[in-house]
Amino acid sequence: MAPVEPDSPSSGEELDAAGRARYLDEVMADIDAEVKRRRASGDLPAGLEQELDELFLEFSPVGLQGKARLRETLALVDSSAYVDIAVPVESQKVVGTYVKRLIRKTMGWYLGFIVHQIVKFAWSVSRMFHVVVAHVEDLEAEVGTLRIPELPYSAVPVAVPGSTWWAPDAVAALTGVRGRVLHADCGDGSLVDTLIAAGVDAYGVDPSEAGIESAIERGTDVRAEPMLGHLEVVGDEALAGMVLSGSVQWLHPNERDRLVRMATTRLAVEGVLVIHSSTPESWTAATSPLVSDLAPGRPLHAETWTHLLHLHGLRTTALHTGGDDRRIDPIPFSNPDAPAINAAIVAVNERLLGPGEYLLVAVRER
Amino acid sequence: MTAIHQFVPALLPRDATGDHTLALQSALRHAGFESDIYVEAAHDDLWHLATYFEAYAERAKPDDLLVYQLSTASPLADFLLDRPERLVLDYHNITPSSFYESWEDHTAEKVELARSQMVALAPAAVLGIADSAFNASELRHFGCPATAVIPILVAIGGEARVPDPAESARLGRDHGSATVLLFVGRLSPNKAQHHLVEALWLYRRWYDPGARLHLVGPAVTPAYAEAVFALAASLGLGDAVRHGEDLTDGQLAAWYADADVFVCLSEHEGFCIPLLEAMHAGLPIVAHGAGAVPETLTDAGILLESNRPGVVAAAVHRVVTDRPLSDRMVAAGHRRLDAFAPSTTRARFVEVLGQLAGQKGRVA
Repeated sequence: MAPVEPDSPSSGEELDAAGRARYLDEVMADIDAEVKRRRASGDLPAGLEQELDELFLEFSPVGLQGKARLRETLALVDSSAYVDIAVPVESQKVVGTYVKRLIRKTMGWYLGFIVHQIVKFAWSVSRMFHVVVAHVEDLEAEVGTLRIPELPYSAVPVAVPGSTWWAPDAVAALTGVRGRVLHADCGDGSLVDTLIAAGVDAYGVDPSEAGIESAIERGTDVRAEPMLGHLEVVGDEALAGMVLSGSVQWLHPNERDRLVRMATTRLAVEGVLVIHSSTPESWTAATSPLVSDLAPGRPLHAETWTHLLHLHGLRTTALHTGGDDRRIDPIPFSNPDAPAINAAIVAVNERLLGPGEYLLVAVRER
Repeated sequence: MTAIHQFVPALLPRDATGDHTLALQSALRHAGFESDIYVEAAHDDLWHLATYFEAYAERAKPDDLLVYQLSTASPLADFLLDRPERLVLDYHNITPSSFYESWEDHTAEKVELARSQMVALAPAAVLGIADSAFNASELRHFGCPATAVIPILVAIGGEARVPDPAESARLGRDHGSATVLLFVGRLSPNKAQHHLVEALWLYRRWYDPGARLHLVGPAVTPAYAEAVFALAASLGLGDAVRHGEDLTDGQLAAWYADADVFVCLSEHEGFCIPLLEAMHAGLPIVAHGAGAVPETLTDAGILLESNRPGVVAAAVHRVVTDRPLSDRMVAAGHRRLDAFAPSTTRARFVEVLGQLAGQKGRVA
């Protein structure tokens, strides 16, 4: 980083409040540029900051490491349920050792009586936890048998979002935001590249390692991680923008609910959320049988997204439509049955065959 | 004249709330008010200045104005809720329990209890005084009918804060000419010292392999403190991270004077007095804009939207290598300190409480 910009005001020059704010904005822009340069040069590899956080969590109590590990916690309870009445008697003075030993001996019957009851209570509590943990594990096993087969990532074609109809609208919505922008389910990372070229500090995640191979070869900051897993470890209000595409369309309703909650909290106030989705109608018709049959959920209408996002403090600011347009042309009016047939065609076009995709832009307001 | 008495859970020396309580008592007495301090507990050296809170019931007068210094859970809350006298909350913030969950469950429960006490007290108070707009908004959120923002009464600097020469020499020998990052505050999850360690690691890789991080403050959450130092050791920073606690005023001043930059990456702050101390010490500041930090700092430092190590390392480097920027920030810090001048704050407290003492009903 250049230590001082040549045209920076010198320290002796008095600035008014607006001038000071402008000056600090320029300094922040320099700092952001330095971080971007470090990322581009490989000094700040993709995922390094997250690895540091994960390393820290290794030193935290068990409950903080992802989901609480019940058996480990239980072992801690068991190990602390024993109370030792053999008080250490070592002392720097000989007489001290003697006095301590005497106290221990004379108090032994008393402490033993009290400790016996404490230990009895502790073991009762521990036994109760063992029963609870056994029940929880039974429940987990039962829930496991109810799971539907997972959609293999390999069945999902690698997305090339950078060359889609909606890419320019997504870039326009995110250009100028200050801070990191995440593209979740980034496919080949092409939209991340386009965003970076537009001056956006973007990175991507995608569950498919094969899908992001080309992006990694290009040196783009993308990571092989599922969208929800990644958002779990992102700090609150850490992102200035987010693009959700790909599997966001077919998430299980529970997972979609988690996604909306996490996306809202991870996004800074005034952060921009961009969602690309197929319409429910076009998705069934255009998606591969494997994906449409095994996907845990179905795409939502844009109106439903708007409603869900509004509940979480986001306001929709733009809605673009595009993609495959399979609308049928009306028949010529020379045909005597044209009015009736064309009315039916209009209804079918509106309900089933209109623009097959949409891009929704929303801003976090609170 | 109406008496204005204060209630504080614990009156302790070298404690921000304790110092504030004593300074406010002095200001009120100087203005002619009768003013006593009632406590649940006090340090041995300060018991002669305080009275056990239950004794107040014997001395109460209907026109008394009671000021509760609220920052933690205490039986004082229930006692004051049952009192008929008018109550003023002087709120110093309660850290959300989520920061302590899994680190220290009993602390999480204690702050949760403190928060529930605040929820009960806020609507019952005639006025809420907060040391930041951030804290005032919490009081309003919980139903406090009126609020005023008045900074905490703390003496920044003074004769006691002259750097201890022996400590300065020791610190100088310890790190030579390496860059020193300083943070002062309890070792506690909401202060996020682990992010400072991460930032130091990156800073050493990118800019200065000998850089040091000095952390000053008590390890009030031992599990968190151990994790912070274990992280430092695992990153090869065992010797680069120094911890200072139980420092005298002179020693603390030496740690401030020894540092190159004050870095605060807290995720929750209700005011952050060390920012003012850093300004007084002439240190440039890099801070994460969480909680009340932006309003305490204003333009007297680099305010970051994120506490990720990359951006922190780059910001610290910019500050320590850009002299005009550093000078400008230090000058802005000195200007900022004027807003917290004890004489102004004392006058404001006396004005607000005095006005209230003269009224019999609630303030509009």
